[in-house]
Amino acid sequence: MDEIDPLNIIVCGTGGQGNVLLSRFLARVFAKKGYYTTIGETFGSSQRGGAVMSHVRVSRKKSYGPLIPEGRGHVILGLEPMETIRVLGQYGNPEVKVISNVRPVYPMEAITGEKDYPEMEEVKRAIQELSSESWLLDATQMSLEMGNPILTNMIMMGALVQTKVINLSRSDMETMIRETFPDEVAQTNITAAIRGMQTVSSH
Amino acid sequence: MVQVKHKVEKFNIATDAPGHVELLLGNEAIARGIVEAGVQVAAAYPGTPSSEILENLVKVAKKVGMYAQWAINEKVAIEVATAASMSGLRAVTAMKAQGLNVALDFVQHLNLIGTNGGLLIIVCDDPEAFSSVNEQDSRWLAQIGDYPLLEPSSVQEAKEMTKWAFELSEQLHSAVFLRSVTRISHASSVVTMSDIQRLDRKASFDLAQYFSPSPVVQKHAELKQKLEKARKIFESSPFNWYRGPSSPDLTLVCSGTGWLYALDAIELLDLEKSVGIIKLGTTWPLPVEFIQKHLRPGSRVLVVEEVDPFIEVHLKEQMYDKWGGDELPKIYGKNTGHIRAVGELNPDNLIDGIVKVLGVNYRGRNLSYDKKAKEHASKMTLARQPIYCPGCPHRASMWIVKRVLRLEGTDGFVTGDIGCYALDRYHGGQRVTRTQSAMGGGSGLASGFGKLEQFGFNQTVIAHCGDSTFFHAAIPAIINAVHHKSKTTYVVLDNSTTGMTGFQPHPGTLLDAIGDPAVPVDIEDLCRSLGCAVEVADPFDLEDAEQKLRDLVNREDTKVMIYRRKCGLIVFREEGPQYKVWVDEEKCFGEECGCDRYCTRIFKCPALIWDKEAHKAKVDEALCTGCGFCFKVCPQSAIVREKI
Amino acid sequence: MTSETVLKASQRLYDEVITTGLCTLCGACIGLCPYFGMNLRRGTIRRIDPCERDEGRCYQYCPRTDTDMDAIYRRILGVPYDKDKIDIGVVRDIFLAKSRDADILKKGQDGGVVTTLLWAAMEEGIIDCAVETRMDEDKSPVGFLARNKEELLQCAGNSYEPGAVFETLNRIPRDSSDNLAIVGLPCQVAAVGKMKTYPSQNGVNVDNIKLVVGLFCGWSLSPGSFHTFLRENFDLSQVIRFDIPHHPAHSFDVYTTSGKKSIELDEIAEFINPACSYCCDMTAQFADISVGSGRAMFKGWNTVIVRTGAGADLIEVAKKNGMLEIQPLPEENLTHLKKAALIKLKKAIKKITERTGSEQDFGYLKVRAEVAEALLEE
Repeated sequence: MDEIDPLNIIVCGTGGQGNVLLSRFLARVFAKKGYYTTIGETFGSSQRGGAVMSHVRVSRKKSYGPLIPEGRGHVILGLEPMETIRVLGQYGNPEVKVISNVRPVYPMEAITGEKDYPEMEEVKRAIQELSSESWLLDATQMSLEMGNPILTNMIMMGALVQTKVINLSRSDMETMIRETFPDEVAQTNITAAIRGMQTVSSH
Repeated sequence: MVQVKHKVEKFNIATDAPGHVELLLGNEAIARGIVEAGVQVAAAYPGTPSSEILENLVKVAKKVGMYAQWAINEKVAIEVATAASMSGLRAVTAMKAQGLNVALDFVQHLNLIGTNGGLLIIVCDDPEAFSSVNEQDSRWLAQIGDYPLLEPSSVQEAKEMTKWAFELSEQLHSAVFLRSVTRISHASSVVTMSDIQRLDRKASFDLAQYFSPSPVVQKHAELKQKLEKARKIFESSPFNWYRGPSSPDLTLVCSGTGWLYALDAIELLDLEKSVGIIKLGTTWPLPVEFIQKHLRPGSRVLVVEEVDPFIEVHLKEQMYDKWGGDELPKIYGKNTGHIRAVGELNPDNLIDGIVKVLGVNYRGRNLSYDKKAKEHASKMTLARQPIYCPGCPHRASMWIVKRVLRLEGTDGFVTGDIGCYALDRYHGGQRVTRTQSAMGGGSGLASGFGKLEQFGFNQTVIAHCGDSTFFHAAIPAIINAVHHKSKTTYVVLDNSTTGMTGFQPHPGTLLDAIGDPAVPVDIEDLCRSLGCAVEVADPFDLEDAEQKLRDLVNREDTKVMIYRRKCGLIVFREEGPQYKVWVDEEKCFGEECGCDRYCTRIFKCPALIWDKEAHKAKVDEALCTGCGFCFKVCPQSAIVREKI
Repeated sequence: MTSETVLKASQRLYDEVITTGLCTLCGACIGLCPYFGMNLRRGTIRRIDPCERDEGRCYQYCPRTDTDMDAIYRRILGVPYDKDKIDIGVVRDIFLAKSRDADILKKGQDGGVVTTLLWAAMEEGIIDCAVETRMDEDKSPVGFLARNKEELLQCAGNSYEPGAVFETLNRIPRDSSDNLAIVGLPCQVAAVGKMKTYPSQNGVNVDNIKLVVGLFCGWSLSPGSFHTFLRENFDLSQVIRFDIPHHPAHSFDVYTTSGKKSIELDEIAEFINPACSYCCDMTAQFADISVGSGRAMFKGWNTVIVRTGAGADLIEVAKKNGMLEIQPLPEENLTHLKKAALIKLKKAIKKITERTGSEQDFGYLKVRAEVAEALLEE
């Protein structure tokens, strides 16, 4: 496969969704396969419900800087739909591929009614308009059905792998899940990832 | 950041495996460098983006024979580390930029005193102030204190430099400054490990030595000589290099994050053949001979650094002395408007700078896409200000403070401080906090406001601070208020942790950094011993907590209200949700008279959302942590909770 | 002067009444919602948070926002507000009365009639509870729901301040089936009148309010300043009750465990709530039964005005059960009462028209043209 190098992936969402954990998981899978990987994160006080994004840069040649230049995103993995739009606004381009959750986390201004959260149909249309290919799924709903909202991350990871926009296999992912999570929860996380994969297959 | 391997020991920063490659966070790499250098004492106070350094050291401290401490504040932390250095051990302290400001009194004469065991001061600046009250450039302070200064440009280099810094310190008998920034400390990259030195020195204080900055002028002259010695070492340091053509059209002089951004920029602009890079890792004193070697008269230079034009200014000054006349290299940077003077550096504003100097074109992204993308983003995205987490006791405490202030009706306000509770001033808070400054600043201000009655001041002033902030800096201010009979109320929000920076312990907690039992200093006892009125309440016990505060605020003297309840995130992690919470739609008044969306408009927990179709409030199960507090807020008792 | 009541919001209530010296602290706006709160210590009503509604019960029920006298009179008393009512309102019956119960006489003000009537209503099953006020340790009248004679006795005694009786009433859930009585000052009784005239789905069900007892009132004291005065001059824990004896006495009496202390009435004049000077109602016109002091000649008796059928029925019950002693009110007392009420009314009209700047504009009081003429007559 003709690899994009450096491959620029942006994982985005709101503080508290496990954005950082997911981006590190992703980076470690690549690192294990011998890639140079760099992650640029914004956390600290933005954990408390702020907009969060991690820039993951993957290369065979060298370690790249922690910030992806504007308009140079190749893959966007969005844990929250408004954040997906925000990231596309700055880092998207006509070739970008997007995998996004469609469950809103309402900013406080939308909860109080001072502002409106955009209609989800509009958001989905915009994501499709701004990408060359996109996959949209309600990973949060799936995780709630499985009993724990934190599984959203692995569901999204599975979806990402199944789209084949990155050079990682299901087996790469499953192995990393077993290495990352304690035995008791590893299987649940694998199941979640598989659910994510299935959602993309039936796209 | 660990990989869990079955039947293989998991990697941690004390794993003795030279050559092993691992994805590490910048701060982890620094911690690894500290371990590889055989450091025996580490002391710090939490501060973003530096906290992970000590956090990682405490995990392996016992294994590597290190003592690691979360000190009460940054000044005491550096003093703890210096004691070790005086006793011959290698020691380190790490802090955020504002922490350096707290420690500055000690730092500014430390190098006049000199060191025995290698001593490294790590300062992590926060360009763009993602998590700070300013975006200061701490390098100036290193210069003022006459410290040799190192700036890593990558995660790998952060480890290498940290390790080497102790050698340098022992060579010079001077403490060394290492300056990192968010995009190094909080970036992750693959790192190759080296050997771990195990020094196991015996700590011993030499009575023949006198550790003092006096006689100052003499010691200052000696220090200047040390710096000159450092400069000579820097001239041939492997942390400085040149990469690029022998006769470039433009030379970038980069430090810190500038190096990797420069590589990105040059690649995107396709200028590898005409732009060279002088990458500097040792930035004070400047290795001027090295720099001069790679410049020619009339060279065009663009200095790439953050936040301030530190190198730019010094370079111009050095060049002026060395070159003279109209052969001076033309130096561009922040002072010439080629790079943004404020905010963080990134590949894009660097590209703008290069384009400006060279007059080349840069094809960014497709113009019509750019327009569309920006339009969608501006229409469909809202700001997300940081807010209290679901379950946070501060939401309840500030709710109560708001009610008390409004009922007093004296245009009262809260003088704020630094920590999770300070989020009151953002979208999710009650916005009764009207000042923010330094650690403990709110308490000091309040002791001042409390003496303005003679000038007609009659507004109720409440200072709030967290438990960690209380110990860090508020105690002297509160004592000041008590002694001077300041009419102020102090509300200490005790959630048993230092929350915002990652749940570190503090002098009030039962365990120390390493997890050994510590002596918890009791805030209530301490305040009572001052002789002022003290009350304690659980902020989730709404009526009791409010009544106690209402009774206190009207007293004429200084008084302390302690709202004590464990951090909601910790409770959720350790114990899971306490209640199942939902909204009874039959009882919910929604927009009607008697409610007007009270919970979503006024109380503001992100887990309580508004269902536009049903015109009712709803609990977002993906966010609710089951703390159950909102049940007391609903005026119609429509929020129901069931103990789990 | 139209009879149309305009519905507005909490901000306007705050700007037009609460902060402009019109607020009598009747408390009708408290307890409807979490947005308003009462600070008893300071004697103020404060807005805790902003409500964004254009319409609200707080504005609608306030006795100092537009009050359509005809509409409320028709609803409560079944007749329009005519000029013959402007002094003491509808009088179906008027007499002097006194409780026959020793416990009540010991604790009650004057004849203890209010306590007796409520007790009678409870015994007869007309009401399940009475929304009253009870003095707390600070001698502030706080709202209280009394359900039996002992609890009624705890509420006996005049505090001369508006009590937070509404907070208690408003907090009764709308699905409660308890029948209620409420006791209040004329401004509070007017607010109940508005509640009944403009009932709402939200809040307490007005159909459950079976009995409204009003108290005669010339003025009341500001809780904030008066209480500071009391605290400075007395050990409040020793205070038993207060009384303002009638002419020729000119004092405010404080009864403590160690005896009675009389304060010159002029000394407490500064604590009179200035908002009371805009009040046109001395005898609580919108009550079922209004009760006042028997005055100097009839010390230990109450003057009682019965206005409605519900009121009359209750009097019959009390009489039948031998709970009340009744005697006719002498003509000169009636004349005096009407005169006193008219003086209060005319003073208030003068203040109101000074404030509005026009003799055609009676502020909150909305009346028909011929009644307006009568109000302006000397």
